[in-house]
Amino acid sequence: MSQLAALQRAFQTHILHANDAIQQAITGTPLAPATERLGIYSTAYRLRLLEALQTDYTALHAALGDEDFEQLCFAFIAAFPSTYPNLRWFGANMDAYLKATPPYLDIPVLAELASFEWAKGLTFDAADEDRLTIQDMAAIPGADWGRMTFQTHPSVQRLDFFSNAPLIWKAVAAAADPPQPSYTEEPLSWIIWRQNLSVYFRSLDKDEAWAIDSLLHGVNFAEICTGLCEWVDELHASQHAAGLLKGWLESGMIRSVHFKT
Amino acid sequence: MPHHAEQLLHPPLGFGLGLRIPHYEAILESRPAVDWFEVLSENYMVPGGKPRHYLDRIRENYPIVMHGVSLSIGSSDPLNRDYLKQLKTLTDQIEPRWISDHLCWTGVDSTNLHDLMPLPYTEEALQHVVDRVSAVQDILGCRLLLENVSSYVTYKHSEMSEWDFLREVAQRADSLLLLDINNIYVSSFNHGFDPVEYIDAIPVNRVQQFHLAGHRNQGGCIIDTHDEPVIDRVWELYEHAVRRFGAVSTMIERDDNIPPLEELLAELDRARHIAKQALTQIADA
Repeated sequence: MSQLAALQRAFQTHILHANDAIQQAITGTPLAPATERLGIYSTAYRLRLLEALQTDYTALHAALGDEDFEQLCFAFIAAFPSTYPNLRWFGANMDAYLKATPPYLDIPVLAELASFEWAKGLTFDAADEDRLTIQDMAAIPGADWGRMTFQTHPSVQRLDFFSNAPLIWKAVAAAADPPQPSYTEEPLSWIIWRQNLSVYFRSLDKDEAWAIDSLLHGVNFAEICTGLCEWVDELHASQHAAGLLKGWLESGMIRSVHFKT
Repeated sequence: MPHHAEQLLHPPLGFGLGLRIPHYEAILESRPAVDWFEVLSENYMVPGGKPRHYLDRIRENYPIVMHGVSLSIGSSDPLNRDYLKQLKTLTDQIEPRWISDHLCWTGVDSTNLHDLMPLPYTEEALQHVVDRVSAVQDILGCRLLLENVSSYVTYKHSEMSEWDFLREVAQRADSLLLLDINNIYVSSFNHGFDPVEYIDAIPVNRVQQFHLAGHRNQGGCIIDTHDEPVIDRVWELYEHAVRRFGAVSTMIERDDNIPPLEELLAELDRARHIAKQALTQIADA
């Protein structure tokens, strides 16, 4: 190993694992001994990553309180040293960490809050793509409607939560008192998307959640109409599907239409 | 009067600011008298949304330069080709006047410490950095600006001064320099050297840009926090630098405790005033 590589590895080991071998390579002064100088880097490392997590997870922070959130973050920082050139992505594993790590795994709302906040972040800076409009749809002959499949806008995300995590986030964002965590037997479906640079989210009824999931899997419009018969009678299934599609188009959730037999 | 070696340096842009999120709307609404903006490259290495939207609108009216923090030019890890690809893509999209990063390392073994770690000033490190700067410049198709960092440690086995190392990197790799006047001051305090000696050792024909910023004095060390106004001693060093290097593109770098845009514009006016006086005095002499 080169002298440079050895020095860098020793310094990094000091920052990550408090190993003091690097101290012998550092010149101290009476006013600032080597330990104090090295401490500036170790402290700054943790505080910088903590700040990134505070930015990404405001509702999780509010739910845990300052002290417990810091404890969580410092444990996360120790478990997942950053490998990203961009600090933007450092917090990516927070929901997985909460799901797998005691005591957090016993409080499922925490992982769901993290999932929700991370998804909102992904929607915020998802790719800019054109959106399909109702006018675009008007140009498609009725005979082709059954074969239509859709690609959603890159900002669209579908999530299911057993807890009221999105409502807790909403209260925290509005500086209101968040509701107590609560859970349902069956998960509730949510969709997050971006329109005019703003991020939106709403809950979905079971039929709409199924229709969007089918659409995301490339199911064509005729099959979606058929599937919706589970919730509406056959006579009104096409009309219901068209109504859902209109809502998605108006919300800017659909990127493009394709045709599949 | 100092003169630029035209074949190396881009024309100076005047007086700029670091583009920060809290100022996006104010910049679009008031079109402030800022000559150019510097953007943090990594902040725009995202697929789309607000960051790219605002940058695209702001760059319609202002020249942009790109400033990165993750090139890790001094790391003993291999160059991060994915990062370089992203940087090249962003460069093609943003069309900055130039690209800068720091003379430092940010991690090894694929870890990123997200800090600007100081290098040992050895011949080994120098050759390593020179080779990598040359490789990066080949990929980007332009000269890179390297910035001197603030540091809190010196390594016992350094063989030369920081300014000798910086000068040698620039000359051997044929790169340009972003001289951070505040960082020179911070490091001079932390390591007990003369900041004027540092400035006077830097080749005039390599300095493309100046940074000015504030810091916090913690007694034993000064921490480069970028959360306070520029202090008087740094303004004095800036004046000295203008006398040596001439009309170099200058900007105020504020990353925390970000004040309203007007406050930074007033600080930038101070830079304008100091530079104008210094250049006039040189011309009259």
